[in-house]
Amino acid sequence: MKRIALLLVLVMVLSIPLTACQSSDNGSTADSDVIKFGVFEPLTGANAAGGAMEIEGIELAQELYPEVLGKKIELVIVDNKSDKVEAANAATKLVDQDKVNAIIGSWGSSFSMAAGPIVMEAGIPAVGTSCTNPLVTLGNDYYFRVTFIDSFQGVVMANYAFTELGATKVAIVQEISNDYSVGLVKFFTDEFVRLTGDPGSILYVANYNTGDQDFTAQLTNIKQLNPDAIFAPGNYSESAMLIKQAKELDIKAPFLGADTWETPEFIDIGGSAVDGAVFSTFFDSQVPLTPESSVFLDAYRAKFNKEPASVTALAYDAYILLVDAIERAGSAEPGKIKEALAATAGFDGAAGVVTLDENGDAVKNAVIKTVKNGEFTYLTTISPQ
Amino acid sequence: MKRENIIRIGLIVLVVLVLAILNSTLGNYQLRILNLAGIYVVLGLSLNLINGFAGLFSLGHAGFMAIGAYTSALLTMSVAQKQSNFFVKPIVPWLANIEMPFLPAMLIGGLVAAVLGTLIAAPILRLRDDYLAIATLGFSEIIRVIFTNTMSLTNGALGLKGLTRYTNVPYSWGIAILTILFMFSLRRSSYGKAFMAIREDDVAAESMGIDLFKHKLLAFTIGSFFAGIGGALLAHLMGTIDPLMFRFLMTFNVLLIVVLGGIGSITGTVISAVVVTVAMEVLRFLDGTIDLGFMVIQSVPGMRMVLFSILLMLVVLFYQNGLMGRDEITLDSMGKFYKNKIKKGAKS
Repeated sequence: MKRIALLLVLVMVLSIPLTACQSSDNGSTADSDVIKFGVFEPLTGANAAGGAMEIEGIELAQELYPEVLGKKIELVIVDNKSDKVEAANAATKLVDQDKVNAIIGSWGSSFSMAAGPIVMEAGIPAVGTSCTNPLVTLGNDYYFRVTFIDSFQGVVMANYAFTELGATKVAIVQEISNDYSVGLVKFFTDEFVRLTGDPGSILYVANYNTGDQDFTAQLTNIKQLNPDAIFAPGNYSESAMLIKQAKELDIKAPFLGADTWETPEFIDIGGSAVDGAVFSTFFDSQVPLTPESSVFLDAYRAKFNKEPASVTALAYDAYILLVDAIERAGSAEPGKIKEALAATAGFDGAAGVVTLDENGDAVKNAVIKTVKNGEFTYLTTISPQ
Repeated sequence: MKRENIIRIGLIVLVVLVLAILNSTLGNYQLRILNLAGIYVVLGLSLNLINGFAGLFSLGHAGFMAIGAYTSALLTMSVAQKQSNFFVKPIVPWLANIEMPFLPAMLIGGLVAAVLGTLIAAPILRLRDDYLAIATLGFSEIIRVIFTNTMSLTNGALGLKGLTRYTNVPYSWGIAILTILFMFSLRRSSYGKAFMAIREDDVAAESMGIDLFKHKLLAFTIGSFFAGIGGALLAHLMGTIDPLMFRFLMTFNVLLIVVLGGIGSITGTVISAVVVTVAMEVLRFLDGTIDLGFMVIQSVPGMRMVLFSILLMLVVLFYQNGLMGRDEITLDSMGKFYKNKIKKGAKS
């Protein structure tokens, strides 16, 4: 009897949401004065910190620009649990149940790729925030993104190594389990070989896995080869430890990296060893890139009382880019938003001027920074050719 | 034909009819959940065979799923898709021009998983209990790391995308129903009885003439085969896969279903696979802002997981052997249930 009673309670608890869901659905579909942006981000699980930073940016943007075409913008935020299967479920829910006009997200290319076929089939445009894997937008007319992809960043760093550092031989250390690092290394290698005209200019490619702590084996090999520079894009904590261990082995070659290094933790872990490390990024909170940057920075500092992360600025850009596209299209119909998005050129975002190319990838300036006396210091800005 | 068999066939036809009706009436979102539930039924049953029937505590399921998923994906992908996916390192030539329909690709995926499962199981089945769990967990991580590093075979961390989404309700639930039938007949067969004898007391089983190694290996191989099939179905439902999908968390999801349903119970696993998959989505409303009429609760992301965990704890507290224990819902048990009711009614 006790078991049956408990089972009944379980059934009842589970049936509450059913009725709740139905009532909320009826409420929202009748209301056509609202434009809905679906947001899917990892709010729980391994990548929850990344998702939370992006939600900050999107919610800040909504506070500043709550309306478009005289209609209110409503955010429908769903959690993808840092899980690819859940990400696909979440995207299907946004498209099918919530009937959103457009989608923003997600932190992590893997989750965006899971949503790719769903938005394409439904014809709902999606704007990626910080997903950099080239496969996200490739062959998908409905996926766009406000971040530049690895190809440009790789090219920028190859140019920097060749012209500024005068390097002719480089070694590469890649985080093999990270799509971002693997992609960057590919484009860096192609460009560097093109510049030097020497296929042997890449002396050595070493691999490590996310979470590795000891890099002595890879670094000992590199030390013997004596490269002019070492390109090591990857997660900030592993990269910082890598550089620290390189200095202990007395490797003098400068380290080059990419935007993931731009976190305070990189300097905390690396200490004085990371002084002189050079990396490319798209955003600098000290030197506003556009008028919109100042608006964003002021509002963010006033609200949160700290410096924004670069992904927060990207998430903010994804939102205001959608608002801008709807204004240009003069309609919130998904098909028209998609066409307006595809035609985006010279859009002033908080994290730089965005022009979308034929793949839906942002072409924007790269900022080169270095670490000097334990602080990130601006070096130069490089614009795409 | 026996009366029971007629009822059984009737039940299957009824289930197929219900699924057919659901297939034509539900929206994309609900269909996706239905498909996912079917896939989790296959995965849950395959782990239930290893953990529940044979009593081998294996935590390597995600690895075998990965093998099935990658094998079938590489076989069904079109030549053009392969070229656009493998932009960092070109794909190995012998795979570049293969393209085949989904069904054979899925079966090959299952077979490759079964063969690798056998190869892995042969040395580690000497271990028992916790040690076996650790070894299988290690192997599934090794498979994942190999897939991350073999760029010209699996595209590494970049993952594969653009798989045709073949998985639909006939595929997912068709295979789920076949798996259920297979598991029931396996359990009734001499092999199934031997598995359970090994689970209860392997010394006694061995003294009765059961070849322990052969039977354990068989259970592991069949389990890996269905895990591979489940992985292939999942890959073609998602349309994209990457090595990170097959982390330990994936095994944990399947293990949760098996433990919740009752380790060793087929119907329990089926019920809990459906309940867990549906509940995760149904509870989604908890993450949003909830309007109770008299008060509004502001949205708290993660509330869904909190409630889900509470429900799990309740089940574990009150049903220590899972929802079904080792019992099954069969025609016999249903018949008994009704008879008891009638008796009780007659008494009062």
